[in-house]
Amino acid sequence: MNTELRIEKVSKSFPGVKALNEVNLIMKGGSVHALLGENGAGKSTLIKIITGVYRADSGVLKTNGEEKFFNSPVEATDAGIAVVHQERNLIPEFSVEENITLHHPPTKFGIVDRAERTRLARQALETLGFDIDLNERVKNLSVAQMQLVEIAKALVTNAQIILLDEPTASITSGETIKLFDVIKRLKESGTAVLFVSHKLEEVYEICDTVTVLRDGESILESKPLSEYKQGEIVDAMVGRHLADRKVELRKVNRSVEPVMQLTDIHTALGHEKISMSLYPGEVLGMYGLVGAGRSELARSVLGLHGISSGELKLNGQVVEIKSLRDALHKHRIGYVTENRKEEGLFLDFPVRKNISVTILSKILKKLGVISFQEEDSVSTKYVDRLGIKVVDNNQLAGTLSGGNQQKVSVSKWLAADTKILIIDEPTVGVDVRTKASFHELIVELANEGLSIILISSDLAEMISLADRILVMRDYQLVGDLDNSKDYTTMSRGIMTAIHSA
Amino acid sequence: MNFKALFRHRATELSLTAIFVLGFLLLVATSHGVLLSRESLQGFLTYLAVPIVIGMAQMVVLAIGQMNLAVGAMGGVSAAIMAVLMADHHYPIWLALLIGFLSATAMGAINGFLVVVTQLNGFIITLGTMTILLGFQYRLVRTFTIDAYPKSLPDFGAKNILGFPLILVIAIATSVILSLFFSRTSTGRRVLATGGNALAARLSGISNGKSVFIAHTLSGALVGIAAIITISSLPGINRSIGGDWMLASFAAPIIGGVLMAGGTVAIYGTVVAAGVVRLVDIARAQYSLDPSIVSLTVGVVVLSTVALSELRRRRSERAREGRKVAA
Repeated sequence: MNTELRIEKVSKSFPGVKALNEVNLIMKGGSVHALLGENGAGKSTLIKIITGVYRADSGVLKTNGEEKFFNSPVEATDAGIAVVHQERNLIPEFSVEENITLHHPPTKFGIVDRAERTRLARQALETLGFDIDLNERVKNLSVAQMQLVEIAKALVTNAQIILLDEPTASITSGETIKLFDVIKRLKESGTAVLFVSHKLEEVYEICDTVTVLRDGESILESKPLSEYKQGEIVDAMVGRHLADRKVELRKVNRSVEPVMQLTDIHTALGHEKISMSLYPGEVLGMYGLVGAGRSELARSVLGLHGISSGELKLNGQVVEIKSLRDALHKHRIGYVTENRKEEGLFLDFPVRKNISVTILSKILKKLGVISFQEEDSVSTKYVDRLGIKVVDNNQLAGTLSGGNQQKVSVSKWLAADTKILIIDEPTVGVDVRTKASFHELIVELANEGLSIILISSDLAEMISLADRILVMRDYQLVGDLDNSKDYTTMSRGIMTAIHSA
Repeated sequence: MNFKALFRHRATELSLTAIFVLGFLLLVATSHGVLLSRESLQGFLTYLAVPIVIGMAQMVVLAIGQMNLAVGAMGGVSAAIMAVLMADHHYPIWLALLIGFLSATAMGAINGFLVVVTQLNGFIITLGTMTILLGFQYRLVRTFTIDAYPKSLPDFGAKNILGFPLILVIAIATSVILSLFFSRTSTGRRVLATGGNALAARLSGISNGKSVFIAHTLSGALVGIAAIITISSLPGINRSIGGDWMLASFAAPIIGGVLMAGGTVAIYGTVVAAGVVRLVDIARAQYSLDPSIVSLTVGVVVLSTVALSELRRRRSERAREGRKVAA
């Protein structure tokens, strides 16, 4: 019989909030179903209910006609459901192939059959067209590589129902194309695929049907996607009409001294001959495929890894940055990391302490005692300015939504009065509305004179925000383009830079 | 802050206080008021000082997500140094105590230095230094009890301030200062940041190495204070000093609400938890129970507190997921 997963009137409450309210959804074999909604609309909760992580309060789940909620992820896996969660579920100390075959390691006489394991893992990675050392420990991989391993892990289970929770959030367009090929093949073989993404272009490219959640309710229920225009889908998601943001060309004066200038920089990580300049008030984009070495360059320049040769000038002065402490306190450079949960925030600390962490020595009263009053006023200032949704600034950072967490992580650098801010993949996993407000914020900060290096794998974001776009490939700069902010010409230019050279 | 919020945020402190008060009243009632006599009360409070201070010594290392297994050995050596200097070398009391205190601080600093340089966890490093220090302690004290020091020291130890034993006042004062250190100084905040998330701390321009070094050094200094309290309140120093400190040093902060993962301190909780552990001790003396009962009870309490706080953490995490959905 045909694969089918039916969700009928599923509700789920958490203390103080109704996360899902009588949600319906039907997934069918041979079809790709888009599950859309803003952050916090209930998508992840729904997926966790399907896979037995959470228990629904009421409603029905039917898998191939059998009416049953799963009690644990193991039960769901055994029933042929595989899931790629938004947060990665890999074991950092295990190798790539151990992780891929984690659910059911192939065995022979009760011990792990290593040859078979390698074969399975290689096969899954080859399907994805993704080349990586199978014995590498996962902790040494980049975010995107981990994401691909996570997808490979779902593929090896031969599941009939695959749930992909934002699989493309942190991979590049090249890898996305490969992933889509895989999804198409899965679809042809009769698999039912659920696809969650914030990128509507992708949704239209790959999906057949759509369910939109808003505040825990299914606004559109398993409708054919072709019947809806992109604008209508966005309206269903946000519940009001979002005006298209104006794309403006900004004027950047490049006849002055650059605030940051790299000349022939080589790094211990393998960057070669990197030369670039960042001008005051500029948004300098850095685009590249995953693994091109963009974050690594930023981290090297900031003193986290070494620079082996070349010259770094700040405001015309040759300097050496030995540590991030130097970068922050001596040179006023900040770095907004792409891994906000792991590296950007103290999840168990209140918002107040997260913001003040960079300015502790500046908010002291007599006798070196921290002034709570000043700490409070500084953090409140940025909570207001960035529109961070909190009860008060004593709320723990871990209890905020992704977009708000990202804003807190930016606030600490603004509080430290940085002159240069390197922002690494700011809107990964952030919903449409928060993303738009984030983009406005970046332009606003640049207009106020902050010089920004924006690292992003989101081509649309790059083209709408950057004044100039540097293209990096294999730890080298292969393009330096003035941004006309015209999507068609710019995307073509960037792709040419990446694929020629 | 309304009562409900107060209860949620201070649940551990409130329930510990309640347990302490109830336990105390129960003991008073069942002992027909003997516990309220001047000597018993004095004894109860005097011997509360050391558990508080060694609890703090462990707490500061737990704050960076590490452990200090050498708390007892450091205290033993430090007290032995003080005793030997006074008894065998006739140093003035103040100088002997100062040297003993500084040597404990130095031992902590060495722990911190080794952890930073080797990048190994404090557990392993302090396991090593503990063993070395125990050997050193035996060499210093051998099988003797050293008590030939000036009488003014036990006099000092028996002093009262406003009816409270001076050494308890010292312990409480130390706790208050420590509390200010963590909440109101930038250094204290940085130490907690390192414990809360070392990666984020590093990317926020905080030197984790410095935090680790400070935490271990501070732990050493607190052990030094505990050694001073010990030598001034006990009749003599022998090789068993510090031998029962390790479990006690973990019990107070863990029962008091400090997370093993790091990033938190709980000064009030640790102090009250030390009081609760003392009550168990008193109960044993009161009812002439087997000493093993004390270990057993403290062990069970530690285990159940850790289990309870883990449950609480999970519940709050689920609530957190819920609130995120609402946001």
